[in-house]
Amino acid sequence: MSKTCYRFFGGMLQLQERWLNRMAQRGYRLVGTGRLAYQFVPCQPGQVVYKLDFIGHKSLDNARDYHDFLEDLGYKVFYKNINLNYSLGKVRFRPWAKKGGRIATNSTTYNRELLIVEKENDGKPFSLHSSLEDLAEYYRALRNPWLTLFVLLTFFAVFYGSWAFGVWALLCAVLVLFYQYQILRAEKEAKLRE
Amino acid sequence: MRDHVKGGALTEVTFFILLSLYTPRHGYAIMQFVEEETQGRLELGAGTLYGALNALLEKRWIEPHGDGNGRKKSYVITPQGKAVARAELLRLRALTCTAEKIMGGDSL
Repeated sequence: MSKTCYRFFGGMLQLQERWLNRMAQRGYRLVGTGRLAYQFVPCQPGQVVYKLDFIGHKSLDNARDYHDFLEDLGYKVFYKNINLNYSLGKVRFRPWAKKGGRIATNSTTYNRELLIVEKENDGKPFSLHSSLEDLAEYYRALRNPWLTLFVLLTFFAVFYGSWAFGVWALLCAVLVLFYQYQILRAEKEAKLRE
Repeated sequence: MRDHVKGGALTEVTFFILLSLYTPRHGYAIMQFVEEETQGRLELGAGTLYGALNALLEKRWIEPHGDGNGRKKSYVITPQGKAVARAELLRLRALTCTAEKIMGGDSL
């Protein structure tokens, strides 16, 4: 008997990951995702574990290649949207994606910013980004969208003299600082060990 | 990846991937090789492995192996990669030599 849950986690990757792992602990594994929907089927409690990965900065080829690579390793991989958006034919410029920015559309990584990676639980820890340098790079990819938004909102706040923009900018700043802290921690550790 | 060309020091992940590819392997086999050889000490996440493989391909230290018809991509080390691995072995030998000289008296 399958079960469908509706949740929206936005950019809170860790919350989403924790929730999926809790569902797996309770004996439900993911079989499909929609914008808000998660479809589950029963499984042995704790049979699978989940990990989320952010791929919004990757190109279509790169994202697909990475997806296939993970599937080849024996993982099951689902695409997931990070925002709520029901558009078709959307074109979005992502200045944070790489030097010079990148265009994302519905047929590339737009609405496919996240990967949900499922592994059969073998009792060993499950992580996707293990080396400190790779970890720092991963957090950088997560920080940059918020950093862009922060700069933009701060500009609006000053330009329009608006408090509302200022509040949003501050919210972004909190997230930028959170990821910046993770980057610095990984980089500091990388100076001593690998 | 932080591979100092002049210093010659490879990251542990880089060196292990190069070593594993003296025989052609696909991604999962590389992860297994690393886990077996280090008894699980060195953790190699899939995302990290993916990044490392692409960096090594770019440097031409490894290359795709086979006709590419199989769904799973496998890789093999190139002569250039072997030269880099050999230099790393010599560097590590010199390093352990120094360490032995200074710490050799210590009971380990």
